[in-house]
Amino acid sequence: MSAEQWGFIFKQENCIQCHGCEVACKTWRGIDLGVSWRRVINIWNGEYPHITCSSTSISCMHCSEPYCIDVCTTGAISKRDTDGIVLVDTKQCVGCRACYDACPYKVPQFGLDGTMQKCDMCLSGKPGIPDFTQNAPPCVSTCPTKALVLKKMPASEKKEMEKAMKVFFNQSDEYQHV
Amino acid sequence: MTKQPGQAFKNCALTFDEARAMARKNGEKVVPTFCAMCGPNPTCGVYAFVKNGRFTRVAGMMESPINKGGVCPKGHAAPQWVYSPDRLKKPLLRKGDKNEGLFQEIPWDEAISIIADRLQQQKKQYGPESLAILAPAHRSYSNLIRRFLVVHGSPNYGHSGICYVQKEFAFTYTIGCQPRCDYKHADLIILWGRQPIYSGPAMGAVRSLVAAKQRGAKIVAIKPSVEPDVGVGDIWVPLRPGTDAALALSMLNVIVEENLIDAQFVETWCHGYQQLQEHIRKYPPEWGEQITGVPAGQIREIARLYATTKAATIDLGNGVEHAPSSNDAIRSVAILMAITGHLDRPGGNLLGGGKSGMPRPKTVHLPGSYTQEMIDKLVGPEFPRNFQPFWGGTSSSYYRILNSVLTENPYPIRTIISPGTQPTVSMRGSKRIVEALKKVDFYVVLDVTRTADMNYADIILPVSTPYETDHPFESKGNWIMARNKVIEPLADYKSIYEFFLDLGVQMGYGGDFWHGSIADYQNYQLSPFDLTIERLRKHPTGLTFKTEGTARTYENYSRVFQRRSAALSREPYLPQGKVAIYNTIFEREGFNPLPEWREPPESITGTPELTKKYPLILSDYHTSKAYSAAWQRNVPYLRELQPFPMLHIHPETAAVRGIKNNDWIIVESPHGWMKVKAELYPGIRPDTVMILHGWWQGCRELGFDDTPLLDGGANVNNMYSVDGEKAFDPLITAMSSQTLVEVRKYEC
Ligand code: SF4
Ligand code: SF4
Ligand code: SF4
Repeated sequence: MSAEQWGFIFKQENCIQCHGCEVACKTWRGIDLGVSWRRVINIWNGEYPHITCSSTSISCMHCSEPYCIDVCTTGAISKRDTDGIVLVDTKQCVGCRACYDACPYKVPQFGLDGTMQKCDMCLSGKPGIPDFTQNAPPCVSTCPTKALVLKKMPASEKKEMEKAMKVFFNQSDEYQHV
Repeated sequence: MTKQPGQAFKNCALTFDEARAMARKNGEKVVPTFCAMCGPNPTCGVYAFVKNGRFTRVAGMMESPINKGGVCPKGHAAPQWVYSPDRLKKPLLRKGDKNEGLFQEIPWDEAISIIADRLQQQKKQYGPESLAILAPAHRSYSNLIRRFLVVHGSPNYGHSGICYVQKEFAFTYTIGCQPRCDYKHADLIILWGRQPIYSGPAMGAVRSLVAAKQRGAKIVAIKPSVEPDVGVGDIWVPLRPGTDAALALSMLNVIVEENLIDAQFVETWCHGYQQLQEHIRKYPPEWGEQITGVPAGQIREIARLYATTKAATIDLGNGVEHAPSSNDAIRSVAILMAITGHLDRPGGNLLGGGKSGMPRPKTVHLPGSYTQEMIDKLVGPEFPRNFQPFWGGTSSSYYRILNSVLTENPYPIRTIISPGTQPTVSMRGSKRIVEALKKVDFYVVLDVTRTADMNYADIILPVSTPYETDHPFESKGNWIMARNKVIEPLADYKSIYEFFLDLGVQMGYGGDFWHGSIADYQNYQLSPFDLTIERLRKHPTGLTFKTEGTARTYENYSRVFQRRSAALSREPYLPQGKVAIYNTIFEREGFNPLPEWREPPESITGTPELTKKYPLILSDYHTSKAYSAAWQRNVPYLRELQPFPMLHIHPETAAVRGIKNNDWIIVESPHGWMKVKAELYPGIRPDTVMILHGWWQGCRELGFDDTPLLDGGANVNNMYSVDGEKAFDPLITAMSSQTLVEVRKYEC
């Protein structure tokens, strides 16, 4: 495993909950209806009247130690050695949804063909995927207030990001995850 | 790995060169243009990509000083709007009865000549004032509407009476103009009835807000429920819908009683402070608490915080324009700004926009052409006649235009043209509106997709999206850019601009309408720039003018307080050349010289007898992360963000009614009922429920059907009172969007 891995940084204090990243991902990647590779989730803080809200913008975290890979019986999911990107081979996926149950962020999505799909960081190198040679991927570049960053980071930093995201995510409402 | 993001992570969108390089690589065409997905003046720059003739997606334009590369969800979803199965295809002429839905396809030219014939005949028979054109929001084409009406001879420009111009009026007649907020230098920002994030999130206001927050500015949000701006805020003041005037009066009470004023400013620049001192005693915070539901302690706290923070600004939103006490709410806020010394000082509320360094395009709305005769003929003035014309021309209120069809008082409007607006879902009193549309002689609809009320139309014209046309150019701040056509129109479409030019020519008004030439129309507007549209178009990302040497000045009181009004009399807005705390013009015209409290038609404190049957307050939101007003429910990527009409209800309020999250519920007011879903929402007052307005349209791609316009649907406008005495602000129209309701689980 390479010491440096790609990872998203989400700056909660910059996010204005506009959902631009979510829809940018859909249009730029031409995603099926009913499926979201990136979601903006609302988080309540406090109780009325001392209550505010914040949000988290989440896609696949491309975990340091992916839970989804552990539970996948067909070996359809893999973590790329060179850069840590977690990729799905849909030909091997049987659509059992074990990865969805295992994923702490409820990331795996199942579109019309029933196989697992999710964020590939727009770096998968697959044909037909827009070229971001010059720029960050659409979710990152569209953000009006620069709340998202994608960068190559040391494994230790990446683990910190994952931990922080877990905290955000667990604060959000249960029903938003379905 | 084949695709390494080279220099990557500069966290931006595309420059023109990058967009071209990307397009070349992918075998695409790229077109620089403007986003067109939010109203009223969408001016974010985008690069539209076209593959094999199909518009596929947009990227933000780095060169645009407005959005600096950012694009919001609405902007990204544009291709689905353009290719929606809900697009109108051909001009239609009604064949069957109204609301039967039987139409015959006709060519554009024929539609134009049918409309022109009808207008000519009605002009002869009933006078030109029998025509009204609805223009709820100020869009780029609104000035053409004004021009058409002026040339035709009708004063009846139909403004909503609930949006922006109400603030413009109350502010201007109190402090000389509607002030701007100095986010850049403020230590305290009060967002009051304002939602800066769902309208134009990629534009400058939100960036300034986030920057202010990061600078350490304190943010206070005043509104009945928690939205993202409360999320970035420090203090939430949860007031009852429609009670802004009461809150402002009580804040004034605190500031006056505790003498937290800028004595020198008051002495030099205010008229009537002594009368206010006497008058405001009636409104202590304990009284305010009764009405607004905000604890007296919190009213004191924010009043003191505002008065004692030197660099403090109030950003007053459209939320305050929806109550019968609107005018008094707005001028109370203006008086707050004035007596605390926050006007036109760094970090406060600025008078005038500062200099831009760019010439202004020539306007086309003919503001100097109004006569007393036209003003006398207004069918339902938005502002009393002695205040007309105001803000660009004369206006009748949208609702009163429709209502005149039923009351025939003072006369019935005979033709209504709706360019890009849907009266049944955008205006209060949907039941009345439907009756009016049934009865009106001639109703013309222009829109991109199906509209809620097109089955009542005599003629329907399908218009092009701004992605299928090369006009108009847009300008904002220091930036001007031509619009470019992304794709050829998908059907027999023309733009709303072409409609007014063509109709003008057909009516015999060609000399006033550039003989139908869109190029000449744009060149006329561009004359101050010494540019033609073709030369402007040669600058793919537009022209940005320098601002050097245009630093703003402060304390421009003597200039702004002397402004002459737009009214026919041209009398100054402020007769004393000072802030009109005691308003002698309002007094002369028979209105309160000092701000007062007026209850909404139904409310907990105003009509307690109703609260047994209807214990909760209902109000609505006008925009959301996914939709602009009543638009765009048909766009799948947006509909996925907000699939159902959800009523925000506090979990405890829901629990006592046995209502769970996502349950279908019935919401009933004295005026109608809706069937919607419950969203258990911890961030709302427990005595209040709220819903987004504008629901009716289905989304075929996702299998959502249309919902009824009246009872049983999700149209909140069907829930409100339109009582002529109680539901309107007596001076500035502002219609109430508050009522009382009960909510129960829907049992099928
Ligand atoms: S799918 Fe879930 S578990 Fe797997 S890498 Fe992504 S975030 Fe981690
Ligand atoms: S990196 Fe690409 S695939 Fe992943 S969320 Fe962003 S836009 Fe979607
Ligand atoms: S685009 Fe940026 S601000 Fe908007 S929701 Fe996504 S992360 Fe938040």
